[in-house]
Amino acid sequence: MHVIIFSWEYPPRVVGQLANYVKEVAVQLAKNNVKTSVVTYHDFLTGQYEEPEGVITYRVTNPVRTHIGVLTWVLTLNQEVERAAANIYYNVNKQIDLIDVHDWHFTPAAVTLKKALNLPFIFSVESLEEHRSHGANSPFNMAIKSLEWLGMYEAAKLVVKSEWMRDEVYRLYKVPLEKIKVIPPKSANWFKNILETYKSVAGGMASR
Amino acid sequence: MSKELTVMMLTWEFPPRIIGGISPHVYYLSRNLAKNGVKVYVVTCDFPGAPQHEVVDGVEVFRVDSYKNPSPDFATWVYLMNVNMQKEAAALVNSLGGKVDIFHAHDWLVANAGIGLKHVFRKPLLTTIHSTEIGRRNGIHFDYERMIHETEAWLTYEAWRVICCSDYMVSHVKWAFGLPTDKLVMIPNGVDAEVYARIEKEDLSSFRSKFALPEEKIVLFVGRLVYEKGVHVLINTVPKVLEKVNAKFIIVGNGYMKEQLSNIVKNMGLAHKVHFTGFVDDETLRKLQKCADVSVVPSLFEPFGIVALEAMAAKSPVVVSDTGGLSEIVEHEVTGVKVYANNPESLTWGITKVLLDENFAKRMKENAYKKVQEKYNWNKIAQQTKATYETILNEYSRSFWA
Repeated sequence: MHVIIFSWEYPPRVVGQLANYVKEVAVQLAKNNVKTSVVTYHDFLTGQYEEPEGVITYRVTNPVRTHIGVLTWVLTLNQEVERAAANIYYNVNKQIDLIDVHDWHFTPAAVTLKKALNLPFIFSVESLEEHRSHGANSPFNMAIKSLEWLGMYEAAKLVVKSEWMRDEVYRLYKVPLEKIKVIPPKSANWFKNILETYKSVAGGMASR
Repeated sequence: MSKELTVMMLTWEFPPRIIGGISPHVYYLSRNLAKNGVKVYVVTCDFPGAPQHEVVDGVEVFRVDSYKNPSPDFATWVYLMNVNMQKEAAALVNSLGGKVDIFHAHDWLVANAGIGLKHVFRKPLLTTIHSTEIGRRNGIHFDYERMIHETEAWLTYEAWRVICCSDYMVSHVKWAFGLPTDKLVMIPNGVDAEVYARIEKEDLSSFRSKFALPEEKIVLFVGRLVYEKGVHVLINTVPKVLEKVNAKFIIVGNGYMKEQLSNIVKNMGLAHKVHFTGFVDDETLRKLQKCADVSVVPSLFEPFGIVALEAMAAKSPVVVSDTGGLSEIVEHEVTGVKVYANNPESLTWGITKVLLDENFAKRMKENAYKKVQEKYNWNKIAQQTKATYETILNEYSRSFWA
């Protein structure tokens, strides 16, 4: 199995809790003989690199240097994420089984790759715009929410970290409950459950 | 490369959605490419009442939901629209078994979708740059403008070739984005002379009488009533022209300068000589262009100048500012008259010369019409564009992506 993980933060770039969590997933996958590529952002440490733990990282930077906010910044970064993912895909003779996208930032790239190359994806939820912005509903917040919705709608499965988050995802986005897997970090069968979820999604789409 | 050359055009406007010049450009280019044996898929924004999928003159048109995501401002709307456009275009290419040879993106408004599709399918991207942010704003002053400017630069960087519609735009784009000369291709914009030829057979005297008295010559301006179009320079010439010839000035279009200009005309006591029509439908516009004794394009900034070409196709003599694309379209005292930009005396001279010397005017419009058919003919433009596609695909076939 070969998985590509999308995350806007990955060590050494640590913004919040997500970076170290994603690294833990990636390292565990590599240890369990799952080929793991991480596509992430860094302003200048760009390119493909094999980390000591066996994870292959592919860092991209934003081709558009000037932005008016995080939203436009993310939206022009997505094409670079697509470019990196496509390079990985074509270099391994198209043998990619799934993508795991963490939070809303790179959902446009995951959706495009699904539509173009039949690569299924998992949407892993760390946090939601509703809670980050305390229910704000300006066009800026609503745009981010619409990308969260798009990711959840197109994802094969969602992974959330608590039952509370499962209920919030259901309440806010009406995602069918059977599509949502609750896998709390540090729980007893955490990695086993992640791996099982990956396997249930891998190769789940039509011929390619 | 499949047997039949297949192109996917990305554009934010296509008829019936018409915002500026890209919509008619892509319409005429794609149908003439189809006539020349190119399979064209157009992916564009939706429009009320227009179908999601239709075949127009052999061109497959797909319209995508472009108001799906709430947006705080225009640029963010553009980027979000690209998310949906790219998603739908990706699904379409996938359903065609990947059989698209080239992606052709028109302006930064579809940059993200074009660039994403290029990498995901590993097919060449071509772009036509119709206008630039640095040109529209006469410089880059804010982060918002710089973001758009850099998005344009990114698009030209990712493109295999960059098409511009005039030599002026080629040098402007080369300067603005620091592109190598061999990446740029000049293929002019075109005009459909047939739509005017059809009107030729009609008797336009009753139509004309709605706008001018029989003894009045018609001076026509068509364009947005904004500073860069120089309409205020034309208004300045009204009393000077009227000293020498009896004329009616017809100003077609809307813009923020409209009220100010009509007040100036009233204060000069010349309201009966200047008629502001506002926005008119295509039919009325073409008839007015046919009736015009002179068509004036007094722009201060003009990347191409399509209205001058339309006037030439309508066999109306033209007087234009010697600037931007207009300088190339018109050959002075051969296919029209060129005057100094932003100079009412010079413009008055040009207008009165055409109106008073009938033989001269006749010679200008006949030469101009010939030029339109030779150079600004959509069939020829489509053939040049097809040749560019073939050059790119030939180079691509030797790359490791092929």
